[in-house]
Amino acid sequence: MSLAFLRNDPHGRPLVTFVLTVLLLVVFGAGQGALLSPAVVRSTLETFGDTGLVALGLGLTMVIREFDLSVVGVFSVGGCIAVLTGNTDPWTGLLLALALGMIAGLAQGWLIVRLRLGSIGITLGGMLVLSGLAYVLSENRSLPYDNMQVALALTQPIAGVFSIRSLLTLAFFVVAALVVGTTRIGRDLIAIGSDRRAAMIAGVNVNAIIVGVFAFSGATAALAGVLVSYSLASASPAGLSDVIVPAATAAILGGVSLSGGTGRPLGIAIGMLILGVLHAGLNVLGAPPYAEQIVMGAVLLVVAVADGPLLLRRLGMTKQLIKPGLISGAHRNG
Amino acid sequence: MAGALHLLSTAGLGKSFDGVRALSEVSFSLAAGEIHAICGENGAGKSTFVKLLMGILQPDEGSIAVNGEPVVLRGPQHAQNLGLGFVAQELSLAPRLSILDNIWLGSAEVPFFHRTTALRRRARAALDALNVGDWDLDAPVASLSIGQRQIVEIARLFARDARILILDEPTATLSDAEIERILGVLDSVRRQGRSVIYVTHRLGEVFALCDRVTVFRNGEHIATEAIAAVTRPHLIELMLGRSLSEMYPQASAQAAPRSAATIVRLNIPGQVHDFSVEVPLGKIVCIAGQVGSGANAVTRALAGLIENATGNVWISGIPLPLGSVPRCVANNVVFISEDRAAEGLFHQMLVRDNLVAASFRRRARFGVLDWPALRRLAADLAGRLGIDRRRLRSSAAHLSGGNQQKLLFGRALQRAGGCLLLMNEPTRGIDVGARADIYRLMRELCDQGFTLVIASSDLEEVAGIADVVITMYRGETVGRYQRNAIDMSRILADIIHPSRSESTVRRVEPAQAL
Repeated sequence: MSLAFLRNDPHGRPLVTFVLTVLLLVVFGAGQGALLSPAVVRSTLETFGDTGLVALGLGLTMVIREFDLSVVGVFSVGGCIAVLTGNTDPWTGLLLALALGMIAGLAQGWLIVRLRLGSIGITLGGMLVLSGLAYVLSENRSLPYDNMQVALALTQPIAGVFSIRSLLTLAFFVVAALVVGTTRIGRDLIAIGSDRRAAMIAGVNVNAIIVGVFAFSGATAALAGVLVSYSLASASPAGLSDVIVPAATAAILGGVSLSGGTGRPLGIAIGMLILGVLHAGLNVLGAPPYAEQIVMGAVLLVVAVADGPLLLRRLGMTKQLIKPGLISGAHRNG
Repeated sequence: MAGALHLLSTAGLGKSFDGVRALSEVSFSLAAGEIHAICGENGAGKSTFVKLLMGILQPDEGSIAVNGEPVVLRGPQHAQNLGLGFVAQELSLAPRLSILDNIWLGSAEVPFFHRTTALRRRARAALDALNVGDWDLDAPVASLSIGQRQIVEIARLFARDARILILDEPTATLSDAEIERILGVLDSVRRQGRSVIYVTHRLGEVFALCDRVTVFRNGEHIATEAIAAVTRPHLIELMLGRSLSEMYPQASAQAAPRSAATIVRLNIPGQVHDFSVEVPLGKIVCIAGQVGSGANAVTRALAGLIENATGNVWISGIPLPLGSVPRCVANNVVFISEDRAAEGLFHQMLVRDNLVAASFRRRARFGVLDWPALRRLAADLAGRLGIDRRRLRSSAAHLSGGNQQKLLFGRALQRAGGCLLLMNEPTRGIDVGARADIYRLMRELCDQGFTLVIASSDLEEVAGIADVVITMYRGETVGRYQRNAIDMSRILADIIHPSRSESTVRRVEPAQAL
């Protein structure tokens, strides 16, 4: 039964990974009761707020079997624009950054569907252009943000463990989960990732969905950049460049596969929480920063191996996840 | 039929690809409550015709009318809105989505929040009409067998209330029980006044189910007849058409001294059951069968490409372990795929480099390639293959299909005398002129001690080139014919609809067959 649950529910595996990660930390941290303190929970949620939105946008592009590398560039240029233009009115900065992120996403998505190009090439170009733009805007230095009220408001704890950032990120995940789970758009999205040709023949407007997902990914990356820059009260292009590795890791831990069609927003959220709890937990345990990378990599490797169809077949768990061609018509012999 | 209401009609419909006519002058009509079969060999233009009707392709000439109104079909969605529904030859389901979601995928009727009870009820009703009302609507399609997925595709059309159902070889991969079920369902569709366009190879189904039949051959509309007015032999004649040209070189008459390969009870789960044959040295053995017959799987298994194949194979008396390509190559087994683009050529490389790619290991000294020797080899091979030497320095992607296939032959030619050459669909997508070259090459190879095993669904080719023909139907061996007993219509009958007694396993011992 438990195995069937793992296989059929898109959130099953991320949840199990999350629980195992927490258990792992508890075992290693035995005797140091600090692990389940509010501070750890808060730190976990702050990590979630930092990168969660980027992971959501990137993860959705992975669900439709694309990959948006440009989130790095949008994230840093969004932060720089917001800090430059939002000193008096933070909303101006936010809106400008969002507009830029969305336009970048629309343009890249349009190129990808129009010219039938791979997303890696296009978004790699987008990433370089936008990251470069961030350096130009900031003249390669750290930009201060003077509106401390906004910075404080964003980091102010709410109910002990939350902040506006983490709550906003959570809200985005919930809305995305509802859209993917209950609307036509969400179902078309999974169909496109699952089998693009089939979706096209069935009458799905494939191009519009692809462009839309890239626009969403651009907008969420820009929003994340704005929130991080505002709450740190500064933006520097160099400091904002290290976002794609945790975002992609969270998406994969959350059940998204590079072959498309799998993974749901809540899974990505859980993937983000896994990263957050690893970060906070290892911090509390006093582990050095490089240990965090090693542990994170190990968890990712275990998940990737456990996800492989060949392993599942060896274990006799499932036949259905194996490439259909290999087992087509097997029922005739049964 | 002049006065009857035509749900769908075409006039002078035509389509070309890159200057090659795939379809010309098709004037077709479909009456309400009619099941209309479209028959023809591979490449006859059936699939092109269907894609034009669904707006997946746009016609170059002619017109389409739905309910008497001329229409320009802009795409699948537009065709759907006009009441046409299509089940493609390859399944068009998203495996990760549930049955319910797949039934409604892409439909314009689905509201923004799609989980409505009305849609669920209609999906259930559609499955009920197909006698599979007990299926779990929320199960992912990935958990279904291929046959069950086909039923979901048909349920999709039902749920959307399509007036015209277009089915492109719906039974190619189904079991007998599932075929029976689908034929029954289509009969009830007809009684509801809906119409079906039924593209198939299988004449048994045409006679059991259909009202009229339209035959295509080489992209031309040959005939449209009422089923009551045609006989099976007549229909086969219409499909095959013209007499065989002088395309096929004669085999040298001498008897084969010994066998080159012995295959005993080759099994591939779900694809091939107990395939046995003794392949005579220097001869061409054709395995004839439609898509899903397992013919292609036999050659792939012999090439080591199918991991779970079992059986005993000897090449010149040496046992050949299955499931490993390097070991098969080491045992002088060479495979030429039907999918030249994906499994044959290196598109970015030069013609010359493609030709000599199989000789790199032998023409290198301490890992450094001996290019002068390789160039001489390439020029020599090009001469033997009939490829213009000036083309050696151009990119392989720019060659025609026929020249690309010759390139692959060239790789096999580098094996000094006597290897087993496996080929799937050796002339697929190759024009008539280049075909003759390919067939001549095949014979030359035989004379040089090569042995060829070919899987083909092109009957004319099978009858023309083979020394031994083995027919297959859904994984079972149906019949075996020697050169002088090869008869196209019998082979056609075998591979499209063997009579029941033959389709149940008829095991012929290899020794008895030859």
